[in-house]
Amino acid sequence: MTSGTITDGPALRDPHTPDSRLGHGADYLHAEHTLRSWFFTTDHKRIALLYLASITAFFVIGAVTAGLVRLALVVPDGQVFTNDTYNKLFTIHGVVMVWFFLIPSIPATFGNFLIPLMIGARDLAFPKLNLASWYVFMTGALFTLASVVLGGVDTGWTFYTPLSTAFSNTWVVPALIGVTIVGFSSILTGLNFVVTIHTMRAPGMTWFRLPIFVWTHYATSLIFLLATPVITVALILLIAERAFHIGVFDPAYGGDPVLFQHLFWFYSHPAVYIMVLPGMGVISEIVPAFAQKKLFGYKFVAYAAIGLASVTFFVWGHHMFVNGQSDFASVAFSVLSFAVAVPSAVKVYNWTATIHKGSLKLDTPMLYAMGYIGLFVLGGLTGLYLATLAINQHVHATYFVVAHFHYIMVGGTVLAFLGGLHFWWPKITGRMYNEAWGRISAFLIFIGFNVTFFPQFILGYLGMPRRYHVYPPEFQFLNILSSAGSTILAVGYIFPMVYLVYSIWFGKRAPANPWDARGLEWTVASPPPAHNFLTEPQAPKIPYDYPIQARETGRQHS
Amino acid sequence: MSAGATETQVGVKLVSHFATVEQQKRAAVLGMWAWLLTELLLFAGLFLTALILRLLHPEAIQEAARHLKFWIGAVNTVVLIGSSLTMSGAIQLSRLGWQRGMVRFMLATAALGTLFLVLKGYEYYADYHEHMMPFLSDRPYELKDSPPSRLFVNLYYVATSLHGLHLLTGITILLVMTWQASRPGFLSQHQNRIEIFGLYWHFIDLIWILAFPTLYVLNR
Repeated sequence: MTSGTITDGPALRDPHTPDSRLGHGADYLHAEHTLRSWFFTTDHKRIALLYLASITAFFVIGAVTAGLVRLALVVPDGQVFTNDTYNKLFTIHGVVMVWFFLIPSIPATFGNFLIPLMIGARDLAFPKLNLASWYVFMTGALFTLASVVLGGVDTGWTFYTPLSTAFSNTWVVPALIGVTIVGFSSILTGLNFVVTIHTMRAPGMTWFRLPIFVWTHYATSLIFLLATPVITVALILLIAERAFHIGVFDPAYGGDPVLFQHLFWFYSHPAVYIMVLPGMGVISEIVPAFAQKKLFGYKFVAYAAIGLASVTFFVWGHHMFVNGQSDFASVAFSVLSFAVAVPSAVKVYNWTATIHKGSLKLDTPMLYAMGYIGLFVLGGLTGLYLATLAINQHVHATYFVVAHFHYIMVGGTVLAFLGGLHFWWPKITGRMYNEAWGRISAFLIFIGFNVTFFPQFILGYLGMPRRYHVYPPEFQFLNILSSAGSTILAVGYIFPMVYLVYSIWFGKRAPANPWDARGLEWTVASPPPAHNFLTEPQAPKIPYDYPIQARETGRQHS
Repeated sequence: MSAGATETQVGVKLVSHFATVEQQKRAAVLGMWAWLLTELLLFAGLFLTALILRLLHPEAIQEAARHLKFWIGAVNTVVLIGSSLTMSGAIQLSRLGWQRGMVRFMLATAALGTLFLVLKGYEYYADYHEHMMPFLSDRPYELKDSPPSRLFVNLYYVATSLHGLHLLTGITILLVMTWQASRPGFLSQHQNRIEIFGLYWHFIDLIWILAFPTLYVLNR
C-alpha cells in the first residue's frame, strides 16, 4: 500500500491558509464550472454534493407529508382528509423518509465526501461506480415518485402482504420497483466503501488509527452488502406476485404472508443500524473536537460499531412477536434484542466520558451532538420496553412504537446529519455560517422534536394505534400537542436551509481547521483541492490526539 | 493452442487515483468478491425457503420435484461446469498473453452459456405443456390441491429465471468483452478484466450447482 506519488504540487504549503488556489490546481468546487462537469464528475466530493442536493429535496417531500399527517390528526373525527388520502400521505412520508432520506443520508453525503479524505486517499476505489450509484439512486427515486404522481400508494412503507399484493388498488408496483432499484445504489455505495477502506488507506493509516467515522461506515457498508440483497429478493417476489401472480406470499397461490415479514425484517432491522451507525460516527467526530479531549475508549467504540452491525442481524423476529411465531422464537428474539443495548450503551458512555471534564465549546455542531445523545438514550431505553415480550403485547403497533422509532431514527439520524452538516460545512463549502442562527436552530429542533414525539409515547401507552386517523376524543389534547411540536420542528428545519445557503455567498471564508479538530480532512484547505492532497498525507500516530495547542493550529482565537 | 501462440505483452494500466498497479488489482478483486457476496445472499433467501418447505412438506414437494426435468437439469449442470472450464482456460491464456486462444475460449464459454439457456427454455416449454406453471390462470396447475407444492414450484421459477437473467447478463458482458479483447493491445492494459469477469462467471456456475440439488435432487 505504498501510495501518494503526487509530488507535482508545491512541496509544502501552510494548510491553514484559507485560499486553496495557491500553487497547483483549484479547489474541487472551482476546478471546473460546466453542468457537464457536475453531472459526469467522478470526484467523490462532487458526487457527495449531488447526493446532498437530492437528499435534501426528498427530505422536504417527506417533511411536508409528515406535516399534513400531523394536520389531519388535530381533529379526532378524521374530517381533514379522506381515509384514502390519509393512508397515501403517511405512506409517502414513510417511503420517502426511510428509503430516500434516512438510509442514504449520511453515508451517501458525508461518507462519500469524507472517507477518502479521512484515510488519505485520492478518491474512492471505484469513482465511476460511485457516479453510477447516484444515477441508480435517482432512477429508483423517480420510479417511486412516479407512483405518487399517478395516484399514490397506501400500503405503508413496509409493503406488508397480503395488503400490498392482493388488496391495495394503488400504484404499488412502481413504488416497489423504485425501492428495489435504490437498494442497488446502497449495495454499490457499500461495496465502494468496503473496498476503499481496505485498499486505499495512506501509508501508516492502520485500522486502529482510523477515525470512528470510518469504522462506523465500514460497519454500515457490511450491512449494506449483507442485508440489502435480501430485501431486493423480497421485493422482487412481491412484484412478481402482484404483477404476474407468481404467488409466494398469498395463501391462495400456495404462499405464506409471514415469509414476507421474515425477509423484510431480516433487512429492515439491520437497516435501522444503516441509519443509526453513520450518525454515531458523526457524533464520535464532533464530541472529541468540541470537548478537546481524546475519544474515551477508542477501541471499544470501534468494536461496538462492528458489534452492533453483527447483533442487528439476529433480532428481526422482535417485529413478529404477535404474528403467531412460536413462543420459543419470541423469547429468543427478545433476549437477542436486549443484546443490542450493550454496544449502544458502550457508545453513549464513551461519549459522555469524553465530554466529562473536557474544555467544552458549545458551538452548533456540539449542541446537535448533545441533542442527539439525549434523544438516542430515550429512544434506546424505550427500545428495551419494546423488546420485553409482555410490554410488547400491550404497545404493539401503537404510537409508542411510532415515538420509539422516531426517537432512534429521526432523532438519531437527522440530528447527527445536521450536526455533521454544520461541522463539515466549512470544509465542504469553504464558508462559515452564522453561529447564532445555528445555535437557535439546534435548540428549536431539540425542543420541537420532543414536543412532537414525547406525547406519542403516552398516546401509545394509552392505546392509540398507529396509522389510524380517527381516534377517541380523549386523545385529542396529546395529538394537538404533538402537532404543535411538529410546527416548531418545521421552523427548526427551515432555519439551516436559509442561513446555510446564505453562507455560500455571504459567509466568512473558512480556515482549513475552524474547530481545532483532528483528522486528515482538516489538514487540507477548505474547500479541499480537486485531488484531495497536494502533498502525501501523513497518518497520525494516534487517532483523536487532543487537545490541540493553539500555537500548533495557528488559529486566532477571538 | 498453436493458433494463439502469438504472445503479447500482459499487464494492467494504472488509473490515476491508485498509487500502484498492485493496489488497483487488489481493489478490483475485492470489489468483485463483495459483489458476489451480495449475489449469494440474493439467492440464499430463495434456496433457504425452498429447503424449509421440503422439511415441512416432504411429500408435497417430492411430488412437485418429480415433475422437474431432472435430466435437463443434470445436463445443464455439466454444460455450465464445462463453461467454467473454458473460462478458466481463457484466464490462463490471458496470463500467458496468448490473445487468439483466449478469445476462442471466451467464445466457447459464451456458446456453452447459450446452450444452457436454450435447454432451460426447452424445459420451461415442457413445463408449460405439463400444466406445471401455477401462475398461468388459463392452464390449471397439475397438482392443484397442494398449496406447498405450488409455492415450491413458484420459487423454482423465480430462482431459475433470476439465475437465467444473471447468465444472460454474463453472456452479454462476455461477448462485448470478447470483442474488446480481440483488439491488439487489450492484454497489455486490461488483463485483470478477464480475471475479474472470470470470478463472476464461476459464480453463476456455483449458484446453479447450489440450485440443482436444492430444487431437483433432494428427496428424489
